[in-house]
Amino acid sequence: MSEKIKNKRIKIEDITNLPLELESQKKASQEKIGSVSEGKLKLYNQQKKNVDRFRELLSEKITRQLASSMVACVHCGMCAESCHYSLTRPDDPKMTPVYKADQIRRIFKKHIDWTGRVFPKWVKARSPVDDQDLNHLKNIVFGTCSACRRCTFNCPMGVETALLIRFARGILTDLGIVPEGVFNVSRDQWETGNQMAVTEEDYLDTLDWMKEELQEELDIPDIDIPIDKEDCDFMYTINPREIKFDPRSISHAAKIFHFAGEKWTMPKWGWDQTNFGLFSGDDRLGAYVAKNVYEAAVRLRAKRIVISECGHGYRSTRWEGYNWAEYDQNIPTESVILTLMRYIQKGMIKVDPAKNPEPVTFHDSCNLARSGDLLEAPRWVLDKVCTDYREMFPNRRENFCCTGGGGLLSMAEYRPLRLEVAKVKAEQLEATGAKLVCTICHNCVDGLTDLIKHYKLDMKVVQILELVSNSMVIRMP
Amino acid sequence: MSDLLRILENEFQIIAISFLIFVYILRIVWLFRFKSSKEKTYPEGNAKAGIAYSMLNVAMPWTMETTRKKHFFYIQFVLFHLGVTLAIGATFIIPYWPHLFEIKAIVWIFQFIVGVAFIVGLFRLYRRLADASIRLISSWDDYFSLILMILYFAVAFLAIPINYQRSEWPLILFFALTAFFLIYVPFSKIGHYLYYPFTRFFLGRTMGHRGVFAKKKKNRSTEGL
Amino acid sequence: MPDLEVKGKKIELSQEGFLYNPQEWDDDVARALAKAEEGIEDMSEDHWTVINYIREYFLEKNLAPMVRKVCKNTGFPLKYIFELFPSGPAKGACKVAGLPKPDGCV
Ligand code: SF4
Ligand code: SF4
Repeated sequence: MSEKIKNKRIKIEDITNLPLELESQKKASQEKIGSVSEGKLKLYNQQKKNVDRFRELLSEKITRQLASSMVACVHCGMCAESCHYSLTRPDDPKMTPVYKADQIRRIFKKHIDWTGRVFPKWVKARSPVDDQDLNHLKNIVFGTCSACRRCTFNCPMGVETALLIRFARGILTDLGIVPEGVFNVSRDQWETGNQMAVTEEDYLDTLDWMKEELQEELDIPDIDIPIDKEDCDFMYTINPREIKFDPRSISHAAKIFHFAGEKWTMPKWGWDQTNFGLFSGDDRLGAYVAKNVYEAAVRLRAKRIVISECGHGYRSTRWEGYNWAEYDQNIPTESVILTLMRYIQKGMIKVDPAKNPEPVTFHDSCNLARSGDLLEAPRWVLDKVCTDYREMFPNRRENFCCTGGGGLLSMAEYRPLRLEVAKVKAEQLEATGAKLVCTICHNCVDGLTDLIKHYKLDMKVVQILELVSNSMVIRMP
Repeated sequence: MSDLLRILENEFQIIAISFLIFVYILRIVWLFRFKSSKEKTYPEGNAKAGIAYSMLNVAMPWTMETTRKKHFFYIQFVLFHLGVTLAIGATFIIPYWPHLFEIKAIVWIFQFIVGVAFIVGLFRLYRRLADASIRLISSWDDYFSLILMILYFAVAFLAIPINYQRSEWPLILFFALTAFFLIYVPFSKIGHYLYYPFTRFFLGRTMGHRGVFAKKKKNRSTEGL
Repeated sequence: MPDLEVKGKKIELSQEGFLYNPQEWDDDVARALAKAEEGIEDMSEDHWTVINYIREYFLEKNLAPMVRKVCKNTGFPLKYIFELFPSGPAKGACKVAGLPKPDGCV
């Protein structure tokens, strides 16, 4: 079916020439919002010497790991075979991972590496000359890569292209040279502690509502969504999308936790496990958001942090966040998928796969598979709660991105290209023959839904909490 | 043997090698001067196993989609690098163990592999020029290094059946090129083998720590979690 | 993205099918959006209840309402909202109501 969809081919110049949008930045500066005056959220300033600052930041921020990825690439082009951008646009030489990484690599070569400093032309070293060049770089690193890390796993040298892309994004974020969507979400997360500017009142009100609906639906008056309860077995953290637009997942979780007899709680503050710092490359934002979660767990003396279904949130909260915040991990942090697995393994909940008879396949989210450790657990659970499980190929570490990763869903201007290169994913989905595609990431839900609609596939996206909740056998006392 | 060749084979090579080692040490010191990050999280897998797995990547073509699917690329990669190894080996054999090359079979093996590497080199040059994506990323250094390698294979091919009587030129060229290499390599992409352990180490450490690298047992148990 | 044709007028849509100029919105635009983006052929009275609430909220606060507020004020259960707008409140209802795309990963 996806064959029938003829994509309008995007001209790469239409992407790379996109201007720097400043409307939100102007507004933020007029309103003198806190995160700007405190110097956390950076605004673009035309008067400043941005190119020089870029160079300074490059030398300040670079790590040994990044520097080795800068020097190790041999320009063999093998990575072109692994990126959904270059695979869908094989005749566009600007889509290969190595080309994208080279846009930052050549600045490194020009200013830090030996040969490039002396003979720049010889190794294609080049510095940006003006803000126009930086804006061009912005469009490449934000607009033509979903930071999925697939190329890294297929590079014979082990070059961390996706990390180089993130590194470049981080420097640009520090100069305010970012897509408007990135600015807006960063602003909200700095200002309100969560990505969608949900107020505490709205947060509590929504949880309360979910609780009431559950009580009514199940006719169990003592089912609860506990807030800020101390000394619990775990503290549950979520994606703000769940609160703002689709709290069904919270009620699925609450229902499962209730029947498993779990002692759990949600924090009043520090509940957002997502982290836009991962996408914008801003380690300070990453540290701030992650620390909110870790500190909430300490405050509540929770024994464990459980992260709801989310790819980048898991990667940020379970792995990167501790390092960004330089915070020694003090309690286990796990994805809810492991919690579910434990419940089923230990017989704490009973499930009946017959309740999910539709053919279902699993989409490995990049941040959980390549940058996390959750390859087998979701399959184990799916096997227990569905009758007709179909593997997608390639899978696990080699799966293709939902094509909405790397924060791309918040950058509308790059959407046409994103959907064009989603062709690989569409074909992969279609080949499974499944009617449902399960993912344990909210971002992937939106990325996949978008491409399913675009390619007119006969498929629906589900999440694992929904499937587990569906399959539960509840014995009423 | 002429004096020129003798000095070229011995003292000159030693000076060039010392230079290479010196620059390499500087280069590693340079890399180590970049700050490193500390791991603050509980492990899920084993960093050491990950590092081992990552380092061995070069010998495990089945672990990577690119090499698994493109056998041809892997084979030509192996032949090319084998050619490099043998050619470098010859630079030691000729001055120090020349009797090895009195055995015809060894000469043939060396010549065969180096000859194949030469052809692979030509193919690589063709690919670099013909494929628009690769052309776009290629620098002068990429072209120059590759052409140099191709030349080197050709000269090695001629020099290996040591024959001072017929002509010394292949040997003189061979050792002159070797010396040039030793000096040029650390400043060019050919030095990538020096970085391989670094990138592979870092990737292996991260992925091992997280349990992504080194295929683990399926269905881990949640006991004790 | 193809722009929307409503009564001979061309309405500009953003890359994701959201209205480019929210002030261009009217009932006809809403109908056209519902059809093009959500596959809703006929807007029922309940559709309108949801849309009108979101619209009013947006005009007042320049913000998309939480789905909690939508349910509370329309009296519809959450499930029903998803039946009305298969893409959900953010990409479905807010879009038809002529709001710009909400921030965040949606
Ligand atoms: S990033 Fe890796 S695969 Fe890509 S060109 Fe460089 S060395 Fe080759
Ligand atoms: S990280 Fe993913 S999207 Fe980005 S260049 Fe690599 S393969 Fe392509």
